[in-house]
Amino acid sequence: MSTKSLSFSKYFTLTRAGVLEALSFRASYIVTILGNLIYLVVIYYLWKAIYASSSTTVVNGMSFKDTMIYLVLATALASLFEVFLVWNIGRDIQSGKIVLDIIKPMDYQIYSFFNFSGNYVVAFFTTFLPTFILVYFLTGGAIALGTNLIFFIISVLMGLIINFCIDFLVSTICLFTQSTWGINIMKEVIVLFLSGATVPLAFFPEPLKTIVGFLPFQAIYNTPLLFLVDESLSTSKCIEMLLFQLFWVFFLFFATRLFWKKSLKILTVNGG
Amino acid sequence: MESRIQLKNVNKEFKILNRREGLIGSIKDLFSRDYRIIKAVNNVSLEIEQGEIVGYLGPNGAGKSTTIKMMTGVLEPTSGEIIVNGRVPYKNRSLNAQEIGVVFGQRSQLWWGLPVIESFKILKDIYQIDNKSYTDMLEYYENIVDIKSLYNKPVRQLSLGQRTLCDILAAFLHNPSVVFLDEPTIGLDVSMKSKIRELIKALNHEKKTTVILTTHDMGDVDALCKRIIIIDKGTVLYDNNIENLQKFFGAYRILKVVFEKDASNHTDKSLEESAIELQKQLIMHFPSAPSLSVTVNEEWIDILVNEGEISFIEVMNYIQSLKKITDMKMQEISTESIIKKIYEGGIQ
Repeated sequence: MSTKSLSFSKYFTLTRAGVLEALSFRASYIVTILGNLIYLVVIYYLWKAIYASSSTTVVNGMSFKDTMIYLVLATALASLFEVFLVWNIGRDIQSGKIVLDIIKPMDYQIYSFFNFSGNYVVAFFTTFLPTFILVYFLTGGAIALGTNLIFFIISVLMGLIINFCIDFLVSTICLFTQSTWGINIMKEVIVLFLSGATVPLAFFPEPLKTIVGFLPFQAIYNTPLLFLVDESLSTSKCIEMLLFQLFWVFFLFFATRLFWKKSLKILTVNGG
Repeated sequence: MESRIQLKNVNKEFKILNRREGLIGSIKDLFSRDYRIIKAVNNVSLEIEQGEIVGYLGPNGAGKSTTIKMMTGVLEPTSGEIIVNGRVPYKNRSLNAQEIGVVFGQRSQLWWGLPVIESFKILKDIYQIDNKSYTDMLEYYENIVDIKSLYNKPVRQLSLGQRTLCDILAAFLHNPSVVFLDEPTIGLDVSMKSKIRELIKALNHEKKTTVILTTHDMGDVDALCKRIIIIDKGTVLYDNNIENLQKFFGAYRILKVVFEKDASNHTDKSLEESAIELQKQLIMHFPSAPSLSVTVNEEWIDILVNEGEISFIEVMNYIQSLKKITDMKMQEISTESIIKKIYEGGIQ
């Protein structure tokens, strides 16, 4: 309204509220970290077996250590990105509470993003950063810390926005289906697999790898993680990868926006 | 005064899938294109002026909430024109949101895990309320209700009444020109209800806020509204002052009697029977008064008399000639019972 800084405060107040709220439910982060640890133990032994059965120590250009760093950080990124957007919006649609959010004096898509941004901030400090530091020291500094770290940070931010947009798109579909569970499970499987969060993309067979290369999903996990584990990347290749992400950020941001606006017309708000 | 809200021939239709019963029916539904159109709001026109408190009444499923959702910009009307504060709400949702406040009695807009005051601070930023207006408003709140003690309590620990109170204060915080209150007193105890009514009254009076109130509690209507709009099946049945309601629908009074025979043997059946019998006799005797109706109300037999059709005394005399009356009362009809009759289709 009056000044630019004021109109930003409109959004950052939601980040602040999210941080406060997330901190008041801090037990959930301990549970997340414990859950991740169990998952990591499983994948450690799984990949150990895969490497043991192979005749070489480097499979598809990645050593066991590379693969573990990649997967551990992928898990940490997944906890950072996962704000249960589809669950939350789906529940609001089912209960009809969504009305109260729609009639806030701001754009719903951006409102939703900032509404969950506090969770991103808290998850970054409670899950991602500790994991990153732990991995760095456990591997004896196997992660290169140079300009690639800047690329990594920019790339994580864009990955986060792409992931948010995909979640928002799926949430919008809930307006039509009035149900969340099945769609959310499907989304999670597709995103985690095609993004390279469960199996590094380097292990994908050739035709699939090419197809996945054109999709937005790999820009969520694979791109940022490559900046950390793949030291052979040239600067021009790095910039190419960032531009590819940037394209998807813009495309998905505007596409999901349009889809939401169109879908809202069919909205029938539940609960009288 | 300029009108704040204008609705012109507004219609809203929903497309509803015709659902079938049972498991097989549900599976068939997955592939069904068998829709029916439901008219939730049918050709509604109204005008509401600045500073009014309007009671927007109607039975469950009458189209009240749908109308409110259209006025807030959440829903787009199928046809017709809505103007709120000079704007079309669904086209300018954000701008419209800046100047309205909403309370849904069943849901809270407050931040569940945070203290009340934090929610207020967040709303201050969201609605870009300047510091002075904000502190003035809080000061004003503190003067009319005991809110200070709630500031530091997390919203999830509040009782329903306290939460509703805070939700209402939150809706008025940015000094909106229109506030929609959808069943604000639902589920509250008597003292909380009156507290909330006082609060709404004070805010309306002080800030000249237009208030649109939907409720099923006639106490709310009697305490707050000068004007009421009654809607049923999407159509406006009545739109006028509350005093006119009685004149409009006839000067009704209720004659309550207890007959001698019934006093000793008051099983419901014999009462019901004598009520039906009395109704027949009355209609035969007074063909000019078709709206005479007899109902059983605990141990009393109620006879609804429209004095526009027949005088009260005549009915009383006639009944006295039929049976011996042991006890008798006359009752002015309440807003509640008139509205109940309208809902039930008794008065057209």
